[in-house]
Amino acid sequence: MRSSALDKGLRTGVIFGIVIAIMFLIGFTVTGAGLVGKLFGVSSSYNTPPLTFFVIFMVLMGAWAGITAAARSLTEPDTLKRALTAGASAGAVSGLISAVVGFIFGTLNANAIDPRTYLPMVSPESTKLFLMNQSPLTGSLMLLGVLTVSGAAAAGLSFYLRTHDGVKSGARNITESVRKTIRSEGVARVTNSPYARYGFWLLVAALLIILPRTWGGYWNYVFGTVGIYIILGLGLNIITGWAGQLVIGYVAFFAVGAYTFALLTAPEPHNLTMNFWLALGLGVLAAGISGLLIGLPILNLRGDYLAIVTLGFAEIVRILLKSDLMTEYTAGPRGVRDIAGPTLFGRSFVSDVDFMYLIIIAVLVVTFIAYRLQNSRTGKAWYAINLDETVARATGINAFASKLLALSLSAAMAGLAGVLFASRNQFTGPDDHALMVSINVICLVIVGGIGNIPGVFLGAFALKGLPEILRETENYRLLIFGVLLIVMMRLRPEGFLPAKRPVLEKSAQTSSKEAQP
Amino acid sequence: MDKPISTSTHNKLRLERYIRTAIGIVISAFLFWRIYNVVVLQQHFGADTWVRFGLSGLILGGMYALIAIGYTLVYGIMFMINFAHGEVMMLGAFGGYFTFEILRFIPAPTTASPDLNFLNANPFLSVLLAFVVGITISATAGFYLEKIAYRPLRNAPRLILLITAIGASTILQNLAMLLFGPQRKNVVNPDVLDRAAGWVINVGGNDVLISYTGVFSLVLSTLLMIGLFILVQRTKLGRAMRAVAQDKNTAFLMGVDVNDVVSKTFIISGALAGAAGVMWSIHMGLVNHFTGFLPGIKAFTAAVMGGIGNIPGAMLGGILLGVIEAIGPAGMGIDFQLKDVIAFSILVLVLIVRPSGILGEKLSEEKL
Amino acid sequence: MTTCIETKQVSKIFGGLTAVNTVDVVVPEHAIASIIGPNGAGKTTLFNCISGYYVPEQGQIEFFGNAIQGQPTYKVADMGIARTYQNIRLFGDMTAIENVIVGQYPRFKANWVDAILSTRRERDEAKQAIEEARRLLKFVGLEGLGDTLARNLPYGAQRRLEIARALASKPRLLLLDEPTAGMNPQETDTMTHFIRNLRDELGITILLIEHDMRVVMGISDQISVLDYGTKIAEGKPKEIQSNQRVIEAYLGPDVTSLTKKYQLRKKQRHDATR
Repeated sequence: MRSSALDKGLRTGVIFGIVIAIMFLIGFTVTGAGLVGKLFGVSSSYNTPPLTFFVIFMVLMGAWAGITAAARSLTEPDTLKRALTAGASAGAVSGLISAVVGFIFGTLNANAIDPRTYLPMVSPESTKLFLMNQSPLTGSLMLLGVLTVSGAAAAGLSFYLRTHDGVKSGARNITESVRKTIRSEGVARVTNSPYARYGFWLLVAALLIILPRTWGGYWNYVFGTVGIYIILGLGLNIITGWAGQLVIGYVAFFAVGAYTFALLTAPEPHNLTMNFWLALGLGVLAAGISGLLIGLPILNLRGDYLAIVTLGFAEIVRILLKSDLMTEYTAGPRGVRDIAGPTLFGRSFVSDVDFMYLIIIAVLVVTFIAYRLQNSRTGKAWYAINLDETVARATGINAFASKLLALSLSAAMAGLAGVLFASRNQFTGPDDHALMVSINVICLVIVGGIGNIPGVFLGAFALKGLPEILRETENYRLLIFGVLLIVMMRLRPEGFLPAKRPVLEKSAQTSSKEAQP
Repeated sequence: MDKPISTSTHNKLRLERYIRTAIGIVISAFLFWRIYNVVVLQQHFGADTWVRFGLSGLILGGMYALIAIGYTLVYGIMFMINFAHGEVMMLGAFGGYFTFEILRFIPAPTTASPDLNFLNANPFLSVLLAFVVGITISATAGFYLEKIAYRPLRNAPRLILLITAIGASTILQNLAMLLFGPQRKNVVNPDVLDRAAGWVINVGGNDVLISYTGVFSLVLSTLLMIGLFILVQRTKLGRAMRAVAQDKNTAFLMGVDVNDVVSKTFIISGALAGAAGVMWSIHMGLVNHFTGFLPGIKAFTAAVMGGIGNIPGAMLGGILLGVIEAIGPAGMGIDFQLKDVIAFSILVLVLIVRPSGILGEKLSEEKL
Repeated sequence: MTTCIETKQVSKIFGGLTAVNTVDVVVPEHAIASIIGPNGAGKTTLFNCISGYYVPEQGQIEFFGNAIQGQPTYKVADMGIARTYQNIRLFGDMTAIENVIVGQYPRFKANWVDAILSTRRERDEAKQAIEEARRLLKFVGLEGLGDTLARNLPYGAQRRLEIARALASKPRLLLLDEPTAGMNPQETDTMTHFIRNLRDELGITILLIEHDMRVVMGISDQISVLDYGTKIAEGKPKEIQSNQRVIEAYLGPDVTSLTKKYQLRKKQRHDATR
């Protein structure tokens, strides 16, 4: 019995030890300590954060290891001894691994060997912080101690919370009462009344009008980016979330839209300087048509070909844009400059506030279209193809045409996002259209809730808005996205805001019942 | 009524096939015309250049083939594109690089040359060690990739698996970038395997260098491919793999340990990718976190070209793709920057003209 | 009487295996016809040929006089052939009523532009679709379960939902692949009754594959027997029951003599008691 707790603890400890070691090697221990500092309101963006925060960060890691180990060894009888064994062993093993790594690099530092030739993120400052400003031996022993103690303490605490009814029922009472208030009739009457709904939307509208004017250029830039990514996400959601076909090279359509618009409006290299709105339409159209052309040979095949072909297409587009061959037509690696901003009745709207309004309007239009499509006949056909293509065909759905439509609409929305992006920055170059954009969009759609429109909003704010606030994590953004993708797929594939199916039978009944008397 | 009855609907199906074939013929005719123009009429390059291109294509193709086999094996068994496969190869390349770097710092002085290091004192042992390390790293990566990321999702929809694979690819790539830095690293070979050294042959009055590293890579990849073919066709594990590829459930009922077979498949494909990675670092000489990305996608193209799920197809596709990529830009008289475009265009072309690939038979409903 | 579906010398070959071998089946309109045969006799393959899932290597399939073989499945469905599956294949993550609405797909004409603009056609059709789906759910006895996810429905309900989805396209021919598989005798009776009702009330032709001989003999107007891909017998239930080749196909050739002995002894006993 005891050995199984010890065993689980050791295994968990190895995993956490490796994670902490890798964190140290990629310099994340410094960033993590900085994030903890930010939590306490101490900003230390460009310096090494104080030692206290690093210790807190390590305590948190140890606690996480301890709780995980305790939870994994959770079998009858659930005793304090078992929990402590699991937690302490997990903490100790992870501490041991960290200590060894710390000792090695501390000794290297002491002998004036700089490991940065091969491991550029292991700076002397980072090593010093990892060893708590002590000598290699003392520092690594302290590391071992901190992790062991925090692992055991957290496991013990989790045991206490699990077994003591007072705490448990207290927590339950609170959640219960909150739930009761939410579900109570009074609240329901308020939330269900049309006035409350109108009031809510009025508030949202007011915020959308007032905020861009008040919060300044930086936040307009950040939320403008969020808006563009919402459009991208809603577009990708059509083909991937609803029709179930993964498109990895989604950025290609973004690039087609951006470049079409850029080349039509910029003075160089073609000097067409077309009207903003006409160019916008043509950009969206070009992207839609490129989606259609890509889909034609691929979409009648089953499987994952679409994913890889679009990836190939995205690479072709990027390479061509960069190549000397096309410099004459696409301005090559320098990119296109002086792209036009929006004009209306001869007045130009290039200020950040005006552009924010334009993005808000575009987001609203795209959201509206997405909502209309979602529960239409077309939307249901997409979802049917997603769930079982064979049966969908046998039900009379032309799967090929439906998928083609979905891809074209997705591509057109990406084109719109590209146009807005190019126009806002007044510049676009090949590097704006790296594959990273696609990964970002896939990630935000999945984290928010695949197939769900509010989910896309949540995902865009979380993945494009939050990193702007947590600037320290910039280097680690893609790594975190990768981890997020795997963790989400394993634990919550439906996302944080899962899509819900509409209630149709009941609503039809109630409406007919209301009609009868 | 014994003859097959030909009707309008039969014709319609055939029409689609004809259209595909016709597009194929038109495109090939255009390519031939273009190549004829450039190669025969304009004669930009002498015969020696073509031999040089062909050789480097073969060498590159050998590596593509090794990676492509990994895609095909995994696709055959799991019906998924192991998107992180290119990154597994990149890890192998780093394994080779770091082995050489470490060995370079181990002194092995002799009386004749006191500055000698281990790398140059025992070049063959060093190369062997590099391969052992690279293959071990990649095989381990493949094993844990399957165990941590893919196994829990065995029965999940394919979209979820594919997204997980993209996540794994992103993680490995960025982890490598953060750990080792984004800049490209020069791989220092043992002096014997200097990239500029080799046999010189005379073609049409000009010298063509056949580098030792190239010949070494080509021979090794051929040997590995033969070994894999024997493994799949002749051994018990190979039989089990083929059984699982045919029908996972039946294989399970027949007493095949499916988890074990899937694990071993990932280990084998990881090992081959690792070998390709070490070859890459020895022959190409530049390694960074992005090393695996393009070869990965191109190897997938090669696997599709040969017929996905088909091992000889992957080998053929890999070598063909390598040669086309090397000869293509010169043959068609376009910029060498565009060689990556050629590979992707081939992928699209294959999917238009013959989606089942060169050697692939018609795939069953579930596989396609 | 008009012929609903007719297969003329249809053959389907997989590699070296001839799954269906020059089979002729003629089903008149408003009939309930059954295809029976041992496992692997090619029944489902024939179904797949009719519904357009496979293209037969040889032969012709006519639906009210129009050749349909080689047409894509969605077009065959569009023409008025609907089917169910041996192992139920519903859109599990959709609600029951949505399954039925998707089933009506071929009948409606509103496209995506209508959907975005919410035109009158779109709104009318959407309303009509829900009404019709509710009616069908009631018809198959699933009233009130419409907003349940299809995969959460009990087994029998899933079978009936599958039939409702097939009926939603207003088919002229309904292909049922083992509609009573996995049901207890009571459920089987209900289903048999239900199938007969389908024909009587909706006037559609039904072709079914079934293993339960009680069902087959009870409701079929006509039975075709397949064995190793070949049609070995055809006729009314009575004729099939006494057909030697059918008994052999089901029980093996040695059984014939056994059966004869059994019948002889039965007759003797009968005589003796008399």
